[in-house]
Amino acid sequence: MGYTIVYTQVLEFFPYLVRGALISLQIAILAFFGGMFFGLIFATIRTFGNRLMNNLVICYVTFFTNTPQLVQIYFLFFALPEVGILLSPFMAVLIGMTLNAAAYLCEIQRAGFLSIRQNELDAAKTLNFTLIQQVKYVILPHIMKVLFPPLSNHYIIMTLGTSMAAIFGVEELTGRALNINSETFRSIEVFSLTALIYIVITFIATFLLALIGRYFFKAKMRIIQ
Amino acid sequence: MERLLEEIPNFFTIWNIIFLGKAMGVTLLLTVIGCFVGFSFGGLLAIFRKTKGIILLPLRFFIIIYTEIFRRIPFLVSLLLMFYVFQIFKITDNLFVIATLTVCLIATAYIGEIIRSGIESINQTQWDAAEAMNFSYYQVLREVIFPQAWKVILPPAFSFFIMFIKDTALASQIGVMELTFAAKILNNKGFSPMLSFGTILVLYFILSFPLDRFGKYMEKKLASNRN
Repeated sequence: MGYTIVYTQVLEFFPYLVRGALISLQIAILAFFGGMFFGLIFATIRTFGNRLMNNLVICYVTFFTNTPQLVQIYFLFFALPEVGILLSPFMAVLIGMTLNAAAYLCEIQRAGFLSIRQNELDAAKTLNFTLIQQVKYVILPHIMKVLFPPLSNHYIIMTLGTSMAAIFGVEELTGRALNINSETFRSIEVFSLTALIYIVITFIATFLLALIGRYFFKAKMRIIQ
Repeated sequence: MERLLEEIPNFFTIWNIIFLGKAMGVTLLLTVIGCFVGFSFGGLLAIFRKTKGIILLPLRFFIIIYTEIFRRIPFLVSLLLMFYVFQIFKITDNLFVIATLTVCLIATAYIGEIIRSGIESINQTQWDAAEAMNFSYYQVLREVIFPQAWKVILPPAFSFFIMFIKDTALASQIGVMELTFAAKILNNKGFSPMLSFGTILVLYFILSFPLDRFGKYMEKKLASNRN
């Protein structure tokens, strides 16, 4: 006992934390789009590829979705130097998160591919749509309506996942919170403020994504679940 | 590479295998307790959130705030926060208890959402029909809603369980003796990181892969039943 909660000392570091949050967002966005890119390739292979490629992707996805992201990054960061690949903490986290995201986003995007029905494509063909028209008017609106909610959900999960980077010494939001903690020893205040910033940035993300989803893709999305 | 091969017999000694087995048990225990508690309290949250009376309004408000907050804080940050709260107010020193409590808090929020979406997947007409037959709220849930909703609840709850097996890896950060921490200890003892982290990657895989398969199988089976 005898501990009083005082925020004044920690609040001085608020701008420092917010700049850390920007780095978190940067990691999340880079890893998300990297994951989207590889996920799209994998999902295409899963849907249209030959048997060998298909099985390889299945192995990749099962492995990465069934092991913790933290341990994957540990492996990249500590084990790869043994074979001569040295990664900076930031790169290790980014590559780890991208690989992990690729596996999850592959599954999500594949579900999107499967949501297009052959009838719809046939109907588009009957109406003499060109390929671009098919993609623009038939495939994309359908896919995006199905895909957008789970994708934005995964983005939120990834934003929270970036806190792992702190363990490897990347100075993002949690990393900076750890720094402040060791400087001021105001642990409860620092981490509650950090938690608050995480709540705010994910809330803003949910809000914006729900707006985009509702306006552009007619997806059913709610801000508060 | 040769060095790695030489190390393998030294690594897989009886002592190390028992050590890793125990750590695996801790990981599993942490997840099972968390999900069990999460299921019970999450169910309560979902049930109370569907109530209508004005008296329970503050409770519903609290439930919404609770789920929204705990689903938006990274597990690592909540672990550290809990850890320091417990340390500073000298409640307990047992790291396992702290980690379990954090897992429970977060699992309650997530599973509460899963159960709520399961309850909401049941058509409003069913509620109306049950109300017309003068069922009490408890009766509606027991006789009408849950017999249908559990098929919607179970598959995502299963994938949540798997997610938490993986997320408990973060508990190594406050020093709980689970799989990831065991690997760190082995690594610090001088075993090659490739071997120690590679082994626990395989162990995590062994832990979650059967569950993942079973969850997918169940999802398929329940979905075909429903249509």
